[in-house]
Amino acid sequence: MEFLSRTQVVVAVGAVLLAAYVLDLVRRRRLSEEYSLLWVLATAVIAVLGFSTPLLLWITRVLGMMGAASTVFAFGLAFAVAMLLYLSIKLSRLGFENHTLTRDLALLRHELDELRSRTGGEESR
Amino acid sequence: MTTPPRVLVIIPAHNEEESLPGTLAEVRSKAPGVDILIVDDGSRDETSRVAREHGVPVVRHPVNLGVGGALQTGFRFAYERGYDVGVQLDADGQHDPAYLGILLAPVLDGRCDVSIGSRYVESTGYKAPLNRRLGMLLFSGVVKAALGQTITDTTSGFRAYNRAVMNVCRHDFPKDFPDAPLLIAFARRGFRLLEVPVVMRERVAGQSFYTLGKQLYYPYKNLLASLMALIRRPV
Repeated sequence: MEFLSRTQVVVAVGAVLLAAYVLDLVRRRRLSEEYSLLWVLATAVIAVLGFSTPLLLWITRVLGMMGAASTVFAFGLAFAVAMLLYLSIKLSRLGFENHTLTRDLALLRHELDELRSRTGGEESR
Repeated sequence: MTTPPRVLVIIPAHNEEESLPGTLAEVRSKAPGVDILIVDDGSRDETSRVAREHGVPVVRHPVNLGVGGALQTGFRFAYERGYDVGVQLDADGQHDPAYLGILLAPVLDGRCDVSIGSRYVESTGYKAPLNRRLGMLLFSGVVKAALGQTITDTTSGFRAYNRAVMNVCRHDFPKDFPDAPLLIAFARRGFRLLEVPVVMRERVAGQSFYTLGKQLYYPYKNLLASLMALIRRPV
């Protein structure tokens, strides 16, 4: 095996750092296991593509890309799109849940006010 | 002898402290038999306090959800408390409670499940700005194409819903622009829609829910939502 090229060293260090950071975020409960999955996968793909030049060249040929760099960019872009779409879906759901909770809170507070006024207490607001 | 039907007028209100007293007084005087609910949609002014001072129950959202979100709260309230019919009425004085009788009649008679107070069934002298007119034409066409039924005033926010419809609305209601797509979704569920002629007025005070950004977003959202209402399996 030859010496690692400079690119491969950069990729290796980058992938290791990113993976370590992602896992550390999970450890500190700042990132849920669920959300870490896409990041860990992305890191793994970067590492594999960065290390295995034959694999990268093979994928480039199969996909009909203009060069190996394009393949790397294409993977990066695909990951970014996947992540953004995933987040949009999650955000939509959060918004929906938020509305339901807001509604529940408002209705409960109204009932509390009713009960309090029936028992001669203060209104909550 | 059956008990008279219970009707709840749901008034979504976002920063409507100025127009609310007039609207409440008018509903009370022109439709004395109905109950009123204010859904304060996260107002920053004294909307809730004004409503309470008028002895009207208030459900207050801690944050602003939009007109659809406020109405959905109203439908949940109405359904859970056993109301037979729910009416949506704007706080800003656009909707004349004098027409409540005309609006309620077909729902109470069982001639339809949703009645829509329409500005255009008969020529009532209402002149909308050009962009509104174009939008109405477009979405009236969308509803016609989707349902084969002509609804001339798809954007009317003056409607009455029976209990079966409210049962759906309390779970599933668009958070904004509850217009053409909602009507299509109703019809897909087998609910009957009926337009009744009403005259609407200019808003008294406060500001409309529809800002410029929303006006641009409206056609996109409601065209897409109409299509989805048409192809989505009703649950």
